[in-house]
Amino acid sequence: MKTRLRVLRAEKQWTQAQLAEIVGVSRQAIIAIENGKYDPALPLAFKLARAFGKNVEEVFVWEDDSLQEK
Amino acid sequence: MSTTTERTPNRSARTFWAVLAVGTAIDIAAGWLLAQPDYGPHARIIFALLPIPLNLVLVALVVRRIRQLDEFLRQVHLEAVAIAFLLTGVAVFIYGYLQQARVVHPLNFGIVWIFMVVFYGIGYLIAARHYR
Repeated sequence: MKTRLRVLRAEKQWTQAQLAEIVGVSRQAIIAIENGKYDPALPLAFKLARAFGKNVEEVFVWEDDSLQEK
Repeated sequence: MSTTTERTPNRSARTFWAVLAVGTAIDIAAGWLLAQPDYGPHARIIFALLPIPLNLVLVALVVRRIRQLDEFLRQVHLEAVAIAFLLTGVAVFIYGYLQQARVVHPLNFGIVWIFMVVFYGIGYLIAARHYR
């Protein structure tokens, strides 16, 4: 799963710590998500999207084609 | 939502360390009392069970702390615990074999706790590095 979190955060000029505070997680969590090392669960994904006023699909992009309908 | 940060980390940490300090003092006192030859079997059972209450409080504090962590930190700690659990098992097995080979003295079970703590630290470093 790819994320636009870093770009969106830069647009808002928020630090990782500020975003972490807004959505109620640790800064380590934001770092791991931005680096693509950790995929958040749905509630956190929705929280992050809401923090930027976006839908989840605008923040996180699912790239696994194996589940596409044939 | 399960993604909440700690509310009062300093207070929680102070409480944990205070309970740990008192609990350790009770552990040492229990060990010292059990080493004295003057007490009867009933008293010795009470001394042996003395550490239980505060150790249960410690367990409760750790569980409460884990529940305060966000989902990411929970995953890191879960991996650290899994690594510590497995490495401690390996260490105890190997120690058992070394004991059968008469290379080492019989295992003091108090030392297993130290294995667990050290391996937990190693596990945490491995897990934290993986997600960096």
